[in-house]
Amino acid sequence: MALKSKDQKSAWSMLTPALALIALFILLPFLMSVVLSFTDQRLVPNANVPTKFVGARNYIRLAEQGAFLNAFFRTATFCILVVPLQCFFGLCAAMLINSTLPMRNLFRGIYFLPTVISMVVVACIWSSLYQREGFFNYALSGLSLGNAGPVDWLQNPWTAMASLVLMSAWQGFPFQMIVYLAGLQGINKDMYEAAQIEGANRWQEFKSITMPSLRNTHILVVMTTTIFAFKLFTQVQLLTQGGPASVTDTLVRVMYMEGFRGGKVGVGAAAAVIFFLLVLVISIVQRRLVKEERAIQ
Amino acid sequence: MLKLTRRAALAGAVLASTAFTTIAFAADPIKVWHHGGRGDGERGKYEELIKAWNAANPDMQAVLEIQPEGAYTEQVQAAAASGGLPDVLDFDGPNYANYVWSGYLSPLSDMLSKETMDDFIPSLIAQGTYAPDGKVYGLGPGDSGLSIWGRKSLLTKAGVRIPTGPADAWNMAEFEDALAKLAKVEGVKYPLDIKANYGQGEWYTYGFSPIVQSFGGDLIDRTSWKSEGALNGEAAVKAMTHFQGWIKAGFVVPASEGDDAFYGKKTAALSFVGHWMWPAHSKELGDDLVLLPMVNWGGKHVTGNGGWCWGITKGSKQPEAATKLLEYLLSSKNIAELMQSQGGVPGRKSSAANVDLYKEGGPLNLYLQQLNAGMGYPRPAHPAYPTITGAFAKAVADIIDGKDVKASLDEAAKKIDTDIADNSGYPPFGK
Amino acid sequence: MTTKGERLSLIIVAIVVAAIVLGPLFLLFANSFKGDEQQILRDLGNYRAFFVLPQDASLTNFREVLSNTTFPVLRYMWNSGIIVVTIVVIGIFVNSLAAFVLSRMNFKGRDLVIMFIIALIIIPMEAVAIPLLLMMAQFGWVDTLRAQIVPFIAHPFSIFLFYQFFSTIPKDLDEAAYVAGASRLRTYWSIIMPLSLPTIATVAILQSLEYWNAYLWPLMVTRGSEARPISLALGQFFSTPPPIWGDIMAFSVLMSLPILVVYFAFQRWFVQSTISAGVK
Repeated sequence: MALKSKDQKSAWSMLTPALALIALFILLPFLMSVVLSFTDQRLVPNANVPTKFVGARNYIRLAEQGAFLNAFFRTATFCILVVPLQCFFGLCAAMLINSTLPMRNLFRGIYFLPTVISMVVVACIWSSLYQREGFFNYALSGLSLGNAGPVDWLQNPWTAMASLVLMSAWQGFPFQMIVYLAGLQGINKDMYEAAQIEGANRWQEFKSITMPSLRNTHILVVMTTTIFAFKLFTQVQLLTQGGPASVTDTLVRVMYMEGFRGGKVGVGAAAAVIFFLLVLVISIVQRRLVKEERAIQ
Repeated sequence: MLKLTRRAALAGAVLASTAFTTIAFAADPIKVWHHGGRGDGERGKYEELIKAWNAANPDMQAVLEIQPEGAYTEQVQAAAASGGLPDVLDFDGPNYANYVWSGYLSPLSDMLSKETMDDFIPSLIAQGTYAPDGKVYGLGPGDSGLSIWGRKSLLTKAGVRIPTGPADAWNMAEFEDALAKLAKVEGVKYPLDIKANYGQGEWYTYGFSPIVQSFGGDLIDRTSWKSEGALNGEAAVKAMTHFQGWIKAGFVVPASEGDDAFYGKKTAALSFVGHWMWPAHSKELGDDLVLLPMVNWGGKHVTGNGGWCWGITKGSKQPEAATKLLEYLLSSKNIAELMQSQGGVPGRKSSAANVDLYKEGGPLNLYLQQLNAGMGYPRPAHPAYPTITGAFAKAVADIIDGKDVKASLDEAAKKIDTDIADNSGYPPFGK
Repeated sequence: MTTKGERLSLIIVAIVVAAIVLGPLFLLFANSFKGDEQQILRDLGNYRAFFVLPQDASLTNFREVLSNTTFPVLRYMWNSGIIVVTIVVIGIFVNSLAAFVLSRMNFKGRDLVIMFIIALIIIPMEAVAIPLLLMMAQFGWVDTLRAQIVPFIAHPFSIFLFYQFFSTIPKDLDEAAYVAGASRLRTYWSIIMPLSLPTIATVAILQSLEYWNAYLWPLMVTRGSEARPISLALGQFFSTPPPIWGDIMAFSVLMSLPILVVYFAFQRWFVQSTISAGVK
């Protein structure tokens, strides 16, 4: 009892640094975001037009004006393209490394490299590949025997998003690879042996043992990748600035452009709140799915 | 913890202010921000100028900070929000209106000498004049020139008249006739390049709003500050319908062709773009290049103008020194040298004679003639300008994509007016 | 188990994947050593973009980048270094201490605090950036290193990682010492922390990568070279037209080197930390 009451006091004092910082730099700004989203707060206050509550006006503006819906749609497109691609590459690479491949550790070390490289550096490198005179056009013309003309990969509305997706998948797939690797290593080896005795081929093994055993890993990987992809900003700001024809605009970019560059903090905050709600929904879906699985087991 | 830092900051401020009064004014250099490009010679020239200034003025040292252009607007915003603006800064065209409205620029017309003010070309004064008080807040070393470049050989082959000055410029009918004729000339894939490859951005507003204005429309009414009726009225719709017509007829270089259809691939006959293409055009086309006057599209003969200008911040603790520095940076001689290397239209009347490109008979003198003829029509210096230009550029992009002209302009006008209404009309505008 | 044919095809696939992964990285290093910009442009559009011949290799680009006065690269690296090291070092103490309290001590409201912290994990930095900027402006912290350090020290996800790990350490270990009279802080410092090196490494690596690469926040909160981190500086160097590829790649190599060195030294930990991040 004496121990407990001693704990009571010292516990809170030891928690203070973390809780104070969290309250000040995460909770407070988050609550401010919510409150500001109902005002017409400006980044640079103006004496002529004092800040006031404007109800849901910022949200209405976002809904009315195509830019936000477009950004939502484009961000979703990015997710829909990049998530399966990354997961697919991640799983393939993980299975390679989990196989009897010689020098597995060397390959694992190599495959992991892109994730260590900063997105800014990746954008610089890939931008040179995507140049009109760059390697991809050289490869395209070679593969098509000179029939396909040079493409402005990042300036063409039809290829800009795909180009960003490819680049992001290259940079990001090692993450999925490692998580899948952990999942694969958790599968009981006996199951494969039993299957082989029954004469199953590799594809059947993959379909009836590997994939089902990875169910939770799939959910985990897909959801974390989706949330991560939702925050798309750096590569867009560096390579396309949302263009061409706004096909690569993103939610975070709208937030940035409205709230920061445009100085309309209220509108930016409203976009941030919606962005947060979307992330929240994805997280809840993930937890539900994982829980369901646990309940079944 | 918070309290402690606040108190420390206060103590620091007190210390600093006493230091300020006891040591000397000279201790605090004039901070200058310049948007940094690379390789255009402008930055290097300014670095030289500031160096020379510092050598000549040991009591008024200046520090030039180059801020990367990509996020320049954001940097200014952040600085304004946190009270960290420099003494002198530059900004692109009509964006200054938002700065003035937000209260962080001082009027240059109250600070620079009358001789200096009077020597600036009228189009620059017009661009820098803030409507509510009629004072000038931003002045740059140069203006921009906008009209049409052509290739003599092709124009001759097509049998099209080559106008020589603003007075005998083409009208819309002649221009469209020229497009049709040029389209038939061998080797011409597209009669007209409009730099669609620049994409939806400031170029769309800068380049194509003069067409609307020529017909009597505008981005926004300059007295009522309403866009409805000006941007989507009959005149504007007519102008942009012509514009869309050229695209529909297949006369215009599509964005996917890249930048060099006119000067590199030489598949385009005319190029509607500004003075900044002079180096590339003259290098690649030589004597075949001809600068044509801006077309008199719809009756009112106008051209776009404006560019980066300098301003002095209200928060500056040494406005006198900053003013002197600006007088120096914008001296007739320095402007001439800057424009000589950079190619823009010299901003002071007395400078032009010393700039080879713009002196009487110079290859770009036509731009000066256009501006001196009062054709310069500055973009609206209104605090909602970022919204105005964004909305119009979007409409232009939609119109290029083939969407309905009236609907595109309606949407833009609505977006602009909504923003203005949301800000209670940006008082004192519209009062 | 695996047939010879399978083994061979595995190796081939593995090498192809390695080529795809390494190609862009070869391009990065090759171009950074090509001193002649014209040659880079000539090589850009063919296989020669991916390597550099010994006779073409030079350090010209590095020399140019390092002597650029508008973009003081070393200054940016220093800024980033300070930011990352401070966040990581202070963060490890603050976060692990909080996790220790939550996993070891009994006090009223403990479960509530745990729930609160887990709930906060999903608030993305992006969603609070603008109000945070307003706060920084209020504090007068804009354009300082502080603004890039202090808000990010406490990190709910790191607390969660530590909490998870601490829960797996048998209670008897430290309870015994505690009952014997050692203070809570003492057991934290001399019993729990030495056992937690893998988690410390995980947190350190995740945080280092995140703040070495930070882009959005520095873009909002820094103005000049004084406080600008390397990632943003490279972004701005890259976006200033026209691109000078040799210099851009040299800049990129300089930015990547520290992280690559750390990666090669602690490869195993990196992999471990990625798995933890996935558990989010």
